[in-house]
Amino acid sequence: MNELLTIFFSMALINNFVLTKFLGLCPFFGVSKKLKSALSMGLAVIVVMMAASLVTWLLYYQLLEPNGVEYMKTVIFILVIASLVQILELTIRRTNVALYNALGIYLPLITTNCAVLGVTFLNVQEGYGFAETLVAALGAGVGFTLVLAIMSGIRERLELADTPKSFEGMPVAFLVAMLLGISFIAFGGMV
Amino acid sequence: MDSTAILIIVFLTLVGLGCGIAIFLANRFLPDEDPLLKRTEEISQYLPGMNCGACGMPGCFAYAGEVAKDVECLDKYPCMTLQNDPEALKGLGQCLGLELSGGEKKVAVVHCAGDSEVLFDYAGIDSCKAASQISAGYKKCPYACLGFGDCAEVCPVNAISIDSEKKVAVVDPEVCIGCGLCAKECPQNIIEIIPAEMPQFLACSYLSRKDIPGREKCSIGCIHCKMCVRASEGGEVDWDDKTFMPLFDHAKLLPAPAAIDKCPKKVILKRDSPRWSQMPKKERVEVEKPAVKKE
Repeated sequence: MNELLTIFFSMALINNFVLTKFLGLCPFFGVSKKLKSALSMGLAVIVVMMAASLVTWLLYYQLLEPNGVEYMKTVIFILVIASLVQILELTIRRTNVALYNALGIYLPLITTNCAVLGVTFLNVQEGYGFAETLVAALGAGVGFTLVLAIMSGIRERLELADTPKSFEGMPVAFLVAMLLGISFIAFGGMV
Repeated sequence: MDSTAILIIVFLTLVGLGCGIAIFLANRFLPDEDPLLKRTEEISQYLPGMNCGACGMPGCFAYAGEVAKDVECLDKYPCMTLQNDPEALKGLGQCLGLELSGGEKKVAVVHCAGDSEVLFDYAGIDSCKAASQISAGYKKCPYACLGFGDCAEVCPVNAISIDSEKKVAVVDPEVCIGCGLCAKECPQNIIEIIPAEMPQFLACSYLSRKDIPGREKCSIGCIHCKMCVRASEGGEVDWDDKTFMPLFDHAKLLPAPAAIDKCPKKVILKRDSPRWSQMPKKERVEVEKPAVKKE
């Protein structure tokens, strides 16, 4: 249990996907303008990360490793994640229209999100077991959502702030990202 | 070919097949999707898709959802862009099984030519709304366009540009879709949505009869001289006794070339050609000079 907690927090805070590993940077800047859409995106990422980790773990340890073709993981993982997102989208669309409208375009966006592929690779690289894989995926997703939420909160305030003309919009967002990144380094001393 | 290569090919095929079959099964066995959602998507194909929000809904997709629920929405909350696009309207009519008659194309016009003298140096926030709070703007004419581009900012198609020299908004009638967002936004209320077929409009909205802008405040403002009414023979130009300004009938759409010609301030403009090309600069200076001397 203790170990699982360690994995969760190290994925969420210390090795944060966005600010420490620099994965999933496009949604970090693209979808962080409004808190509501940031949370929708975060939720979608958490779900897809969990599902993708589950399936890829099974595939890797049941199919690829016993046959000694681990190097196939890149192409197979991409294939699996893409179709997984398709199925997920189809399911939500058919069963829950309200949720589908809330997630909107974010689900298809995740198909090619490097953070999702990254978490599956990390799981394999670290040699996590089944439960550890799921917890790591959850932690990564939560960390991603957390950073997106913080960033969108700051950017909502920045819209109202009196920024110099040349810094308006993206430039000041980059600066904020830098400060956020520095502050997240402080989590490194936690474990 | 060695056995690993074959293994790889088999694996990749298997995984690909598996994914394909999984999607197929999901598609086959999941309950049918909400018919409303499908209809919404069909309808949204014909909408402009630029999410301007002029209809009152948060976006085109939301508008399509409302229309899918209740067709009456098309009349209740009209989408001006849709009304201006006969092809999309026809497509939507087929989709809904209705005969949709296209409303006439409309465009926005700014009732100001922007030549009013400056009353004081305004150094506040770059916004017409803020500037209009201080003594009805920094220009001498209280009905003048302030030229900070509040209208240009809300325009979903970037049809409005600001003439930075005169500080006046200029609408490109080719690009304008007549959505009416700018007219709502303008704090001076000098933007009007008129039929695109309208041949001319008055580029001034000076309502007061006392201080005539053409004499001392604005070199190209309406001086309420009624020359246009006298010049028009067939009743193309009416006179509004309340505002003391010429009126052009939006239903009849009559061209009034004589009025455009006779107007001493050249403030009646043809709607379809760019404003700056119609403003004879030399003439304006000549008009201005004797006016100053009189004072």
